[in-house]
Amino acid sequence: MQTWALFLDAYRELNARKLFWITLVLSGVVVAAFAAVGLNERGLTILWWQLELPLNTTVISEEVFYKSLFVNLGIGFWLAWLATILALVSTASVFPEMITSGSIDLLLSKPLGRWRLFLTKYATGLLFVTLQVAVFCTTSFLVIGWRGNAWEPAIFLGIPIVVVFYSYLFSICVLLGLITRSTIASLLLTLLIWVLVFAVHGTESGLLMARINADMNVESLERDLHRIDEFREAAEAEDRPLPAWIRGLDQEREAARTSRDRWRLAHRIAYGVKTAMPKTSETIALLERWMISLAELPDREGEEEPPATGALLSQPSQRVDPQELNMRLAERIRARSVWWVLGTSLAFEAVVLALACWIFTRRDY
Amino acid sequence: MTADNGQYAIDLHDVKKVFRGRVHALRGIEMQVHGGEIFGLLGPNGAGKSTLVKIMMTVVRPTAVSGTMLGTPLGHKRTLARIGYLPEHHRLPPYLTGRQVLEFYAALARVPRRLRKTRAEELIDLVGLRDWAKTKVSSYSKGMQQRIGLAQALMNDPELIILDEPTDGVDPVGRRDIRDVLIRLRNEGKTVFLNSHLLSELEMVCDRVAILVQGRVVQQGTLDELTAESRRYEIVIEGSPPEWVGDELRVEKGEGRCTLIRKGADPEPMQALLDRLRSEQRTILSMRPVRETLEDLFMRAITDPATGALLKPGSAPPPRRGRRGAN
Repeated sequence: MQTWALFLDAYRELNARKLFWITLVLSGVVVAAFAAVGLNERGLTILWWQLELPLNTTVISEEVFYKSLFVNLGIGFWLAWLATILALVSTASVFPEMITSGSIDLLLSKPLGRWRLFLTKYATGLLFVTLQVAVFCTTSFLVIGWRGNAWEPAIFLGIPIVVVFYSYLFSICVLLGLITRSTIASLLLTLLIWVLVFAVHGTESGLLMARINADMNVESLERDLHRIDEFREAAEAEDRPLPAWIRGLDQEREAARTSRDRWRLAHRIAYGVKTAMPKTSETIALLERWMISLAELPDREGEEEPPATGALLSQPSQRVDPQELNMRLAERIRARSVWWVLGTSLAFEAVVLALACWIFTRRDY
Repeated sequence: MTADNGQYAIDLHDVKKVFRGRVHALRGIEMQVHGGEIFGLLGPNGAGKSTLVKIMMTVVRPTAVSGTMLGTPLGHKRTLARIGYLPEHHRLPPYLTGRQVLEFYAALARVPRRLRKTRAEELIDLVGLRDWAKTKVSSYSKGMQQRIGLAQALMNDPELIILDEPTDGVDPVGRRDIRDVLIRLRNEGKTVFLNSHLLSELEMVCDRVAILVQGRVVQQGTLDELTAESRRYEIVIEGSPPEWVGDELRVEKGEGRCTLIRKGADPEPMQALLDRLRSEQRTILSMRPVRETLEDLFMRAITDPATGALLKPGSAPPPRRGRRGAN
């Protein structure tokens, strides 16, 4: 009864906020944009205009095209960025307003425990995003079914994914709202922390790429050295000094190994920091992982080994194949378990919420 | 159902509150409120009145407490379903209408849905907001906010109603209406705990009062009990005072008249005095029983008897060498 009353109250509050309706209308515009875009053998169509593209559009099916649009633009850009900022602006005031003198008195004086009040109010704060994303996913489901001929129920996974993603940020916002008692301060600090989380993500991704690059460099050098084993053995058998170019390669390999070890260490540190933080980007990327397999994406099938140049040794510039680097990077990121992505992020959220709840229950109002 | 049944509705012992280890807001409150009475809590600003009320309503956590409300230990959450509360400067959700406010807080107070509807209608009529029930409370005047706040406090048909400055910002007509509601509640057997600055208001409705000064209850009892010392009879006669006036009578001389003052509440000794004055053909202009007003009582309570100066507002100063947060 009390939980229902708090949710009904939260809904009425949302209903009274213009920003809720503005966001909903904008969501409708984004979905309408999906519906307006089409794909044919000549390129893209937007409503009745044909947009010629110098690309082979037949390698991607309409289904994958619409799913990509939904995942990358709908969820990745609209819901996980712009709508999230609008949602934070709209819900950052939930706790600062609740703990205002005169307002909190009326709530705490009811037969309702402080823990329960806190957690229920927190859950009602997620109502904004839940309603927005539910409407967005449902309309996207219909549009992708109609335009892409793919009735994909996995689209509805977007609802829990986006709500969980938003809950990381909202928990931070709630904690800061309780500490500062200010809507604007908690909102700005939350956005700052979000930027920080994104910076850590970017740093870790960059270091992972550098690490894979260093790995591939060492692998390439070792392959080269393996190919010239007979020269080395011959030199050793005749007890003559190794040619300078072989010694140069050895030194280059040692330098590459040292560099690789440094990148590995730097990446491990960044990975450790990232593990303790909420993984906003990876959480959203889970949807792509579940909806679109690597094989479905263009240029993944039929990839061949790079053509042999006939040379004994590879040129330094050829040691790392950019395509392979990207593929390895994508595989490494996709290989990270869902439990690592969600589990560690939810653990972070649980710690933040526990701290906020402790402050809320211990404070005098 | 009455709150008393032979027990105190509120029975507080040794309630202490120290803020941040140094501000002693409450320094061991002892207070008893009988069931079925209107009890008034008075005190200067910063005396700790609102802190005490907030401790009773679990809004503020006490440093030390012992006592009961409606027979259960202070802080027992479920008991709050039997208590109605109107905080000072309350803020209602501005996006709700008057009726929605009542139903929302009633739901939090665990009032069944069926009862919520009927109670809301009854109370909207009681506080005179029938024409405003469907209007958002953000457009209510201060007085209307107080009225809907009072109705909110009564939604759960409480046995004990705690009101913090209920007539704050209310016009005289509204104040009279609220007073009538309080008297009606007492007549229904409910206990009303009133925290107010308006001494005349309290004097009109309260059965008992307590005066809180610097975090301590300095006076507590019925108005008759608290003013017994000051009760007296005053007789105003024309001319100079009689020569036979003894020690039991005090005389105040005025222009062409004088006032004879006799301490005590017993009217019997006054009869012989009147007879003697009449036998001397003196003109008696008036005779009336007099006692301290609540304001007099209050002013006496907040005056330092040693210096005659008013006690400083606010909580008591910290002890010079007190331990931090010791209680």
